[in-house]
Amino acid sequence: MIVCIAVVGHQNNPLYIQSFTEADDALKLHHIVHCSLDVVDERVNNPKKSGPMLNETFLGLLYPTENYKVYGYLTNTKVKFILVTTDLDVRDADVRNFFRRFHSAYLDAVSNPFHVPGKKITSKTFAERVTNIVKSVSFHTTG
Amino acid sequence: MAREVAESCVDSLLTEIVSSYCTRFYVNKPELAARRIEAIGYQVGHQLCERYTMERPRFTDHLEAIKFLCKDFWSELFKKQIDNLKTNHRGTFVLQDNKFRWLSRMSAETSSAAQDTTSMLLYFPCGIIRGALSTLGIPCAVSADISILPACKFH
Repeated sequence: MIVCIAVVGHQNNPLYIQSFTEADDALKLHHIVHCSLDVVDERVNNPKKSGPMLNETFLGLLYPTENYKVYGYLTNTKVKFILVTTDLDVRDADVRNFFRRFHSAYLDAVSNPFHVPGKKITSKTFAERVTNIVKSVSFHTTG
Repeated sequence: MAREVAESCVDSLLTEIVSSYCTRFYVNKPELAARRIEAIGYQVGHQLCERYTMERPRFTDHLEAIKFLCKDFWSELFKKQIDNLKTNHRGTFVLQDNKFRWLSRMSAETSSAAQDTTSMLLYFPCGIIRGALSTLGIPCAVSADISILPACKFH
């Protein structure tokens, strides 16, 4: 299950963050997202480690924690998408697919002429669309 | 699905933006009008750039980003590529378009008044370029100059 999704601007400013849990652990999730930004920076600045996927937008698994897995995606425009999920056995292709759909939702949101670049995304349509994407995606376990 | 915009509409819209800013909102302040028009272009460039870079790998350096701007971005906007790209390898790029679409219908009059009007029209594409580049992480200043219509250079 996807528990949290975040959009982070090029100066590491949060543009959008939403968690999908019943429990009151938003703060913890935000913390995880925050930590992952360092990992993104590290990946981008030390391209040697990441090897063949040098310039891909999809950054793959950033880091696993006990209960969560954190995936990252960096657009050409230096906007980061962070995904936190509780599924521990996830195929990369599924995550890739999810990020692609999420990216197009994001694009449509920022193309709104009333959206101020660099400010938080407040559009309700965007929130709805993200919720729909999150609901529709279920990562099949490979087992 | 690709959505397209009628060229004549864009042409008229641009002319209209320029004329309302120059002759109605900021009659006595042509510099302010230019800044406003450029700001509109900036936002357009910013948003277009977000969209057109979606499916491609990240750029590693500035040259690659500029190449993208000359080829793909320009063909999305004007259905042609930039004709000539020069650089002094110290961070200045000159982009030359020999038949700039938005100027192809301008009169070739050389009086200074006509040239002023034409240069006002160019603040919008300047803004687009600046918006696109700064979205790609390259802060820059863009200026344009016209020698022979409809050729157009961007610095």
